[in-house]
Amino acid sequence: MNLSLEKKNFIEAVQKTARFAQRSSATLPILSCILIVSGDDGIKFRATNLEVGIDFKVAGTSKEPGVVAIPAHLLQQLAGSLSGEGAVTLEQTGDVVVVTAGGAKSVIKTVPYEDFPSIPLTTSSEHSFTIAGSTFKNAIEAVVACASTSTVRPDLASIFFSIEGGMLTTVATDSFRLAEKKQSLPQTTPTVSMLIPAKNSLDIVQTIPDDTITVTADEHQLVCSWNGSTLTSRLTTGSYPDYRQIIPKENASEATLLRKDFESALRHTTIFSDAFQKVRMGFDQKDNALKLSSRNADIGESEESIPARVFGNPMEFSFNHRYLQTPLSLITTESISLTASGIGRPLIMRGVGDSSFLYLVMPMNQ
Amino acid sequence: MKAPGTSPYELWEYVLSQVQLSVSPANFNTWFQSSSIVKIEDNIVYIGVPSQFFREWYLKKFNSLLLKILRSVSYEYRNIEYVIVKDARKRPAREAKSDKPTIELPLNDFYVNKSDNLNPRYTFDSFVVGSFNELAYTAAQAAINRPGITYNPLFIYGDTGRGKTHLIQAIGNQFKKLYPNRKVFYLTSEKFAVDFTDSLQNGTANRFKDKYRQYDLLIMDDIQFLSKKDKSQEELFHLFNALYDNNKQIVFSSDRSPAAIPDIASRLRSRFLVGMTVDIGEPDLESRMTIIRKKAATNNIELDSRVIEYIATTVPGSIRELEGVVNSIVCQTQSKGIPPDLAEVRQSLRSLSKPTKTVSVKHVVSKIADFYGIDPDSVYEKTRRREVVRPRQIIMYILREDFNVSYPTIGTKLGGRDHTTVIHSCEKIKGDMAEDAELAKEIEDIRSLLV
Repeated sequence: MNLSLEKKNFIEAVQKTARFAQRSSATLPILSCILIVSGDDGIKFRATNLEVGIDFKVAGTSKEPGVVAIPAHLLQQLAGSLSGEGAVTLEQTGDVVVVTAGGAKSVIKTVPYEDFPSIPLTTSSEHSFTIAGSTFKNAIEAVVACASTSTVRPDLASIFFSIEGGMLTTVATDSFRLAEKKQSLPQTTPTVSMLIPAKNSLDIVQTIPDDTITVTADEHQLVCSWNGSTLTSRLTTGSYPDYRQIIPKENASEATLLRKDFESALRHTTIFSDAFQKVRMGFDQKDNALKLSSRNADIGESEESIPARVFGNPMEFSFNHRYLQTPLSLITTESISLTASGIGRPLIMRGVGDSSFLYLVMPMNQ
Repeated sequence: MKAPGTSPYELWEYVLSQVQLSVSPANFNTWFQSSSIVKIEDNIVYIGVPSQFFREWYLKKFNSLLLKILRSVSYEYRNIEYVIVKDARKRPAREAKSDKPTIELPLNDFYVNKSDNLNPRYTFDSFVVGSFNELAYTAAQAAINRPGITYNPLFIYGDTGRGKTHLIQAIGNQFKKLYPNRKVFYLTSEKFAVDFTDSLQNGTANRFKDKYRQYDLLIMDDIQFLSKKDKSQEELFHLFNALYDNNKQIVFSSDRSPAAIPDIASRLRSRFLVGMTVDIGEPDLESRMTIIRKKAATNNIELDSRVIEYIATTVPGSIRELEGVVNSIVCQTQSKGIPPDLAEVRQSLRSLSKPTKTVSVKHVVSKIADFYGIDPDSVYEKTRRREVVRPRQIIMYILREDFNVSYPTIGTKLGGRDHTTVIHSCEKIKGDMAEDAELAKEIEDIRSLLV
């Protein structure tokens, strides 16, 4: 094998594929390698951990076809050390690869590649749709923080991704809070519903470009392709809980306030929260204020009153402050609204004037 | 060599032991740990793998190896198919339930609301109203519309499986919907008693009192279990007074009327009777048919009307039993794809229905005579005294209806009467029962004596 490519292309290819390689070498050692394939259809970097896989196409010139497998972490370090412009060449002789970049030359031992698994780059489904990569990323990034990290319930450790009537909805919940993001797509987009493992979805959003990508999915597998590159992920088999049922319809109290006020008050109050990370929130209609307070028997206590427009009954809840913090980076509007439906029932947080994002959080036991 | 027809599990164990010899340990651990044989059908072995990655790799790398091993077991194995199975990987041991103070979202299908104990499945929408429970239903509606004023307390009683719990929980759920700011609580009398004794032990009796006095609607199920629990009764008495004086609605249910609950303090008994006492009788044929239809419809199954009628007439007693039968039909339908026809239902019900009881005529006569306080001998005599005639007719009716004794036999056994007399008596009782609820009740009681 003999190939040459631009430094920045090399760096991009290594960085994008390395995250798909197995991080621990406990299982098959070849899974922690990147497979570099040089052939008629260009230069491709491949990696997989059997959950997700990628076949990444890089621009460059292939002088001699061939295949080598190189440990991903090694390539990562090498790519990290490169700077400036210029070309990188990789030349295989026997069981070593000589990497030349400018004046630097390194000789890397390759790993036998026979055991490198084939990556399922097609699905049994013929239905595919196109979507802007940026839309796809937005959809995942808006909710992924709320997915469960536990493996006990694979459905909750996944993101519910559905397209119906031109509306793309993504949902994630870990049963303590829930986030839902809606975005509209062209009406012609077919109806799709799948569960993308949250861990895999992060790899996907880090890799896909902002431009249009083509997506196909069957019951078990999701494939995204663009510009000759292909990415694939396992899907969670199963169904998602009917989360719409738990979104409260009635609102007993509602407060509208500035997001930055809430954010700074929360940061202040959090200092005094206890081991359970508890923060009390009170709707005070008389003073037209939302009150945050916390108390830690060892440190002290704090209280802050945020000017707000409050309607409805006075009410008090306790929350885990981390759960209140999460949506603040996801809501982009200046003002936010908090809607409570009753004691022991979920609180809804939204951006004022933005109906595309909804965040639901359960209070703590009193 | 292993015999064909071994279980998939054993076969897979054997395959693994052979595979282990031909691949590296790293390969073996990566590729074979999470697979298994799902089934063997038509000599095709179906191997379950966790994802598409595995499927492709098996097809590419291991197919011929596996086939060779399988063939060494038996030449009958024709082929291997790979199927992706739902998370076959060994689940990690269930996570230690961390002490999460945040309440969880109710994502599970069946959950009971912790703050009021009500099961949201029980609503008026799913409640079948028939002549047997119409009164109770109307009373419940009236109690909801003017809580604490119209019927307080509302006391609902009826035999087990008549829908008492459904009705009173529906009251709670409806109340919650209509008055979201008021507090509802549902509990069984047994829970109340346990709570009370616990609070005494922990010295938190005052908190216990406060807890129950805050509710705007208190629903207590199966109140008959308080019998003989004097202290709990006394506590309930005080609670009752506190709620009643503040016009808070109270709903009780029991399997018998307040007057018939044994060992209950009379001051409590009289309080049960202050408001409205209604009973839920036995569901009539039409209601039973509606219930079956509704239950089947919620499972998306349409049953033949003859099947429904057959079930409604054959399955005796409680709605719970009806539900059980419908559930088994649903199960059959799901496995077969089509609802069973009349013959199949008849077949499956045969095992369910009670065997026809055989009993001596003498025994029946003496029990019923006892019930009415008459001399058993007078039944056999040719007397036409009023106090004897009625019981005699009832005896004939019971013998005919419950024990399937033929008309002529009944006639001969009861002092040589003509079979037409017996037919007339049975018809008469049947007719009277439809009009006279008192009589129907009596016959119910007699039946319970004869079981």
